[in-house]
Parts: sequence; structure tokens; C-alpha cells
Amino acid sequence: MKVGLLGLIVTASLLALVPVPASGQSAAPKAPPYNPPRTEDGQPNLEGVWQPRTSGAAFSILPHPGGFFLGGGSETGVVEGGTLPLQPWAAAKAKELTQHMELDPTGHCHYEGIPHANYFPFQIFQTPKYIAVLYENMHARRIIYMDGSPHPRDYLAWMGDSRGHWEGNTLVVDVTNNNDKSVFDMAGHFHSDVLHVVERFTPVDKDTINWEATIDDPKVFTKPWKMKFPLKRAPQDFEMLESGCFEGERDAEHLVEGLATVPKDHYTEKEKEKEK
Amino acid sequence: MAKELKSAFLLVAIVAALLATSSPASAQAIRPKLGPSYVAPRTPDGKPDLQGIWETRNAAAFDVSEVAEGHEIPYLPEALDREQKGPRVDPIAHCKMPGVPRITYMPFPFQIMQRPGYVVFMYEYLHDQRIIQTNSRPHIDGIDLWLGDSVGHWEGNTLVVDVTNLDERSWLDSARHTHSDALHVVERYTRTGPNTINYEATIEDPKTYTRPWKISMPLYRNTEPGFELREQECTEGDNGRPIHPLYRPAPKGDPLELTREYPVKKETSK
Repeated sequence: MKVGLLGLIVTASLLALVPVPASGQSAAPKAPPYNPPRTEDGQPNLEGVWQPRTSGAAFSILPHPGGFFLGGGSETGVVEGGTLPLQPWAAAKAKELTQHMELDPTGHCHYEGIPHANYFPFQIFQTPKYIAVLYENMHARRIIYMDGSPHPRDYLAWMGDSRGHWEGNTLVVDVTNNNDKSVFDMAGHFHSDVLHVVERFTPVDKDTINWEATIDDPKVFTKPWKMKFPLKRAPQDFEMLESGCFEGERDAEHLVEGLATVPKDHYTEKEKEKEK
Repeated sequence: MAKELKSAFLLVAIVAALLATSSPASAQAIRPKLGPSYVAPRTPDGKPDLQGIWETRNAAAFDVSEVAEGHEIPYLPEALDREQKGPRVDPIAHCKMPGVPRITYMPFPFQIMQRPGYVVFMYEYLHDQRIIQTNSRPHIDGIDLWLGDSVGHWEGNTLVVDVTNLDERSWLDSARHTHSDALHVVERYTRTGPNTINYEATIEDPKTYTRPWKISMPLYRNTEPGFELREQECTEGDNGRPIHPLYRPAPKGDPLELTREYPVKKETSK
């Protein structure tokens, strides 16, 4: 009896947490907002393996052509508006960096940092006090603390420091404590150590999360900017394997001279067509 | 006399209250026994709760025979010979993952997280991770990994993890105790108290040892308030040198209190 009552109370409080759709308020017929399942402690449940659809953001977050080392290319990129508000010195440095791919930290097996790590598959686990995100690539990981604790002082990291909270069904993650060495992509887009990223993970159906981030870095850009892409749920039997990038480390020497020395034969037929 | 009687009543009342709120087998619940018969708290899905940040306090990372049963590793003569002729540089010096069971007793903390069907180990060392399914699925085939393939199941109070597919190049410690690709490790994690886990691993490798042998050690909970795992990036400054940096130095202060003003665009005359 006692347990039954407790169960009733728990159920009632869980029900109270489920937002009731405001019905009949707008005249236009609108699909009701997606209401994700809940974890046992009442959080919107985002658990699972997620595969981002980034239009080749790892190559460039801006619109870019396809080709050797560039994948299929993208006409849109993932940056809102298709351009970056770079300060003039930063635009010059970004251009120079494209000629020095040997400096790309991911080529040296470093952590990608946020948002870069999100371009690769990851698995989300949710506990009442923290959400763990485990990435396959570089076996990177981060723990998003959900207990309202502040960012640590006197600490910088490749993956920064993540603290999160819920706004309705959206997981909002505040990322600071980033070092100035991780980069946004392989196209020379970089940031400084005052980088502040605010990510929003919004589940829109059972197999899709809309991910977007506001990037704030006054040392490199003239104003904050946004990027976004969807995350798709991986098939049920999908398991992440170990990725040990440092293996042998023979890639670094091939990257020394960068794209400039790639033989023309390595471009796809489509790319050759374009050049004619 | 009246005072004594009063406290006796109070004691009876407390015991009665405890008995009333606990299950029929309540004698244990009142005073949990420490040691192998300790009954660990449960997760919402009824599994022993191993969650928290744990660390070893021994020298096994330097010489695993410290924690081996009988302080002895039963080498086959030919395996000892192979070891003597093998590589002399510890693979972790080049930021390779240390393998299992070595990752457990690296002198760095690790965090255990449990979700239904999963036990996840997040190691501070090399930001290594093991996502272990507790469904006793078959081992993967045809690929060796530095941390191997781990499959778990529960036996009463114990998490049992079966590890195969281990890369033959990993060492068991810095004292160059080696193994072959036939290594098979069975780990057992059993809570023995509020802040301790008994860790036991049976190490079997018919190409290297004459018989399976065992290591065991306590894991201690890190009880420092506010303690969190931090980033440990071995490949820092990667140029082939063995490096084990401590945490990166950082500018002093709160990251959000640093100057955060965008440059003002200058008015230009046309």
C-alpha cells in the first residue's frame, strides 16, 4: 500500500513534468511539438548513438567544393548566412593556415574541441547529475554537469568545460575553458582561448535532434555567429569502436606540404570537369 | 534510572522504525556488513551501484607482480625469451592506450557510470573509455583493440567483464611484463563497503603463461568534495617524445570574466 502510494506520487510528478501542448490557441493547423520520452528521473531522453549530418563540416564549415580530401562538398556549409564575421587579421591568418595543413591539430591526434568533435558519431548517456557524451573519433569525451555548478577557474582544455541545463525539451550546454589550439575545421577556421560556445540540442522526432551552436569569440570575430546541423539516430545495433588516432603516426609526414602538392590525378572526374 | 529507561525506549522505537521500513531480510539493512558480504545500494534498475570516481592506491602500474597472487607471474620459458627480445620502449610512452587490466591501475582516477544495459568506464588517463554492454553479447570478431572488446554481466553483487581482442603490443606495467594476442582477461568488480570496490582480474594467455593467474586490489572512492575528472592529453606537443604532462597551465580567473568585447567598427568616410 505504502509503495503503491509512493508510485502514484512519482507518476503524478512525472506527469506534471510533461509539458501540455497549448491547444487551440493558434488558428493555423500546426503539428504538435514533439514530446520526447523521459528518463526515469524525468529528463527528456536523448540517449543513444547519434550520427551528425554535417555537409562535410570537418573539411570546412563554410560552403566548399568537393574533391580529394574534401568529400562531396557542400553548397551551404553549416554556418548561418554562409560567411564568418572574421576580423581582418583573422581572415588573413585563416587563409595562411589553409597552406599549412601540417599545423592542423587533428592531424596530430589532438582532441577536436567543441563544436568540432560533434561532426562525428557520439553516444549520449544521461544520469540525474550529469550527461556524458562519448565520441568515437579520437576516443574523445566530455561530461556535461547538470547540477548548476560553475565552470572551473584556472583551467583550459581541448574539450573545454561543459555545464548544461534544460529549457523545455532543449538541452542547453555552455562551453568555456577552451584552449586556443583546437580549430573549427580543416579550412583554417580557428578561435582563441576566450571562445564561448552555447549549444542547443532539441529533439524534433524520435530519430532526430536539431543541434545548433552560438559561437562567441571577440578576439577573432566581429560578432557572435551561429552554426547548425541535424543529428540522426544510428541503427539499433550500431556500436562505437575504439579509435586510436595516434597509431603509428605516419600521417603527419604526408600532411607536411598540405593540399598544395596533391597530384591532379587525385581529384574526382567531377572536379576535373569543373576546372576545364 | 528514568533517563536510562527513556533511552532504552528510544532505542526500541528506532529499531522498530527501521524494521518497519525495511524488507523482511532487514537484519542486514540495519548494519550493513563490510567485506564480500556487503550489500551494495542498487541503481533504479536493481543492479549493484558501482557509480562514482574511483582510484587505486598501489604500485601495480610499475610492477604488476606487486598485486599478483603469490607475487609471481607463471611465464612459459619461450614467452620469457620472446619478452627479452621484444620492444624495450613502453607503448604508453607513445600515447598508446594501456590495455586491460593496466588501465585500471594507472595512477589516475576513473569514473563509473551505469545506465540500463550499460556500464561505462571513463578514465582520466588518456581520456580512455570503455562502453560495456551487460547483455553477454558474443565478442566481436577479427579486430584487436588496445582496450579490447569488453562484454559484461552481473553475478549477484559482482560485475563480471570478459575482455578479449586485446592488442598483443600492450604491456601489463612499466616493468615490461608482456602478453600475446591470446590474452583473455576476466574482471570482477564487487562493492565491499560504501567507499571501496574489490577489483579482481584473472589473466589467461596460453601462449605466454603456464596457467591463468590472478591479480586483486581495492579501488577507493575519491571523496574530495567537488572533484571532477579533468582532461589528460598525452599527445600534447606530439613529436615522438614520451610526454606525460600535468594539466595545462591556464590564465588565472573565471573564463567568463575575461575581456569579452567585440571590436567597434570604425566609421569610414566614403
